[in-house]
Amino acid sequence: MTHTPLRIGLIGAGGISNSHLPHLLTLGADVYVYSEVGAAELVARYGGTVVDRLDELLASVDFVDVATPTFTHHALVKRALEAGKHVISEKPLARTDAEVDELAALADELGLMLFPAHVVRFFPEYVLLKEAVASGRLGDLAVLRFSRSGAFPTRTPWFADRALSGGIIMDQMIHDIDIARWVAGPVERVSAVSSKAGDATVPVEAAHVLLTHSSGAISHIAGIWGPSHLPFTTEYSVTGTEGSLAHSSAAERNYIAHLANTNGPSGLLPEVDPAENPYFAELREFTNAFGGGPVPRVSAAEGAEAVRLANAALLSLETGQPVEVHTPSAQAIGK
Amino acid sequence: MRTPDRPLKIAVMSFAHTHARGYIELLKNIPSVSLLTSDPGEHPAAELRGRAFAEHLGIDYVDSYDELMAWQPDAVIVTSENARHRADVERAAKAGAHILCEKPLATSHDDGVAMLEAADAAGVILMVAFPVRFASTFARLKAEYDSGQLGQVFSVRGSNNGRLPSERAWFTDPALSGGGALVDHVVHIADLLEALMGAAPVSVTAVTNQKLHAERARAETAGLVTISYDNGVIAAIDCSWSQPDTAPTWGGVSVTVAGTAGTVAVDFFGPRARGLDTATGLPIEEPYGPNFDEALLSTFIDAVCSGKQPQPDGRVGLRTLDIVLAAQESARTGRTVAVSKG
Repeated sequence: MTHTPLRIGLIGAGGISNSHLPHLLTLGADVYVYSEVGAAELVARYGGTVVDRLDELLASVDFVDVATPTFTHHALVKRALEAGKHVISEKPLARTDAEVDELAALADELGLMLFPAHVVRFFPEYVLLKEAVASGRLGDLAVLRFSRSGAFPTRTPWFADRALSGGIIMDQMIHDIDIARWVAGPVERVSAVSSKAGDATVPVEAAHVLLTHSSGAISHIAGIWGPSHLPFTTEYSVTGTEGSLAHSSAAERNYIAHLANTNGPSGLLPEVDPAENPYFAELREFTNAFGGGPVPRVSAAEGAEAVRLANAALLSLETGQPVEVHTPSAQAIGK
Repeated sequence: MRTPDRPLKIAVMSFAHTHARGYIELLKNIPSVSLLTSDPGEHPAAELRGRAFAEHLGIDYVDSYDELMAWQPDAVIVTSENARHRADVERAAKAGAHILCEKPLATSHDDGVAMLEAADAAGVILMVAFPVRFASTFARLKAEYDSGQLGQVFSVRGSNNGRLPSERAWFTDPALSGGGALVDHVVHIADLLEALMGAAPVSVTAVTNQKLHAERARAETAGLVTISYDNGVIAAIDCSWSQPDTAPTWGGVSVTVAGTAGTVAVDFFGPRARGLDTATGLPIEEPYGPNFDEALLSTFIDAVCSGKQPQPDGRVGLRTLDIVLAAQESARTGRTVAVSKG
């Protein structure tokens, strides 16, 4: 652990930065924020220091947290690594296979830490699943179902552009793709179907992804970006030869209010218990590692693999056929 | 239930399917129905079948289908092994009886086509036993779909999970059942989507394994299927026999339908009282709710009386079967498979 405050540069001041900046500050970091737009408003909300230029940011910090739109991750992470900084990157690590391969290799080569922010690995219900599987309590996994459903992110236009964001599969379903691979192991085949409806102002998008794991286990991942009133919900149901484990965020609630005047739940982010905030737990684990602490539960190679699987699903949409996945990094990502 | 002028003669062909018992229990309590059953052939020693089963249920029985058809039934319920549906339906049609056939319609497309032709040629009703579409919760979903409250539907996910059938050995003998979990469970949700949207399935992708119940499995025990429909809707179905033998209930059927105006989730067998067994700590689960078979049989009997073809008809049976056959081919080949256009 380091004794001096971590000096962290946060790049980006959009939606997800609201789930980074306050936690970085709580962790005692000095946070410098650079963003093309919104840095002043974000800092006014939580604290930190606005920096006007990326150069200046990189000169002021030891670590960089990239929380920008997906299509900008590659250039920014690369620049931060080349400046000698350890890096946290929002998921997906980058948009294309070539980009993630380059970033993972570059971090390795430079001996720098690079952590993709797969925050679902820090949600307690998914940690329990991982532990139940790892302990052998569920036996040999046979069939896994994951579902993630919420409002279409319309606050900024890039989400709707599949070339920029990778659509719902690369942006939202990559969480469960990563979890499925985390708990059931390497994936050999991916297929996907998707649909879109609505219009430019009220779009919706859905996809179903099927994974065949090397173990023979099969996974279904369902994603919905629905209308704006749709609450954010997640589900999983995992069955093995010795047992099963299932969770539904809509069913497992410890606070149910029916008040006349109240804000409804967000359709964009899951509800979390502030005493056990997964975004905080994630950033604590990453920043602890920066300070010499234990190796975090998610690596750059695993973030890269999640991107490759999401891109295989996108390729399956194009070809209309399942896609065989070659996992040269299977050993690298084995933990 | 409508009362016909004279007792309606309903014959049950075979006790192979476990649903035969449920239908019989309901029918024998309808005064206007006269019931006769037959379950000929050699049966596994461990299974209560044939005359012994009829006596157990307290219903009339004859030893052969010849005698059963000589009784000149108005209607026949076919609850034989899946692979024998065709022969039994053809026989019932030839006898001029209206037919309710257990799902799936058949185990091959050609068999299914032959059954539709046999019913058409005889001028008799052919209905397929998909009870879940008779749930009041499905009626509500259908009404909300039809009135536009879901907006434009774009995605569906469904699960139909149960135990590996063990009361009857043929369920896990692919020669008689036509396969495993895919053939047993995909059709229920495929039928619900048929009833909801009436859209044609275009292509199917399926993955399977037989890790669960591996010691008894002779076909897939877990299956995941995605379907693309010609109205742009995508659907995913988990058809796995993933309910362990030790589970407190048989399993269930659920669907979640997503539209531009919102989502509806239906857990058709969901409501239950829950508790714990003090001695073992095991859960007590007591499901409750209407018996969908009652509405299914009522619809069939009304149709037999009126002579008007009810839904789900043989064409629905064939279209849902075609999804299963495409899923089986996909699981076998690792490819996405186009659904037969009939």
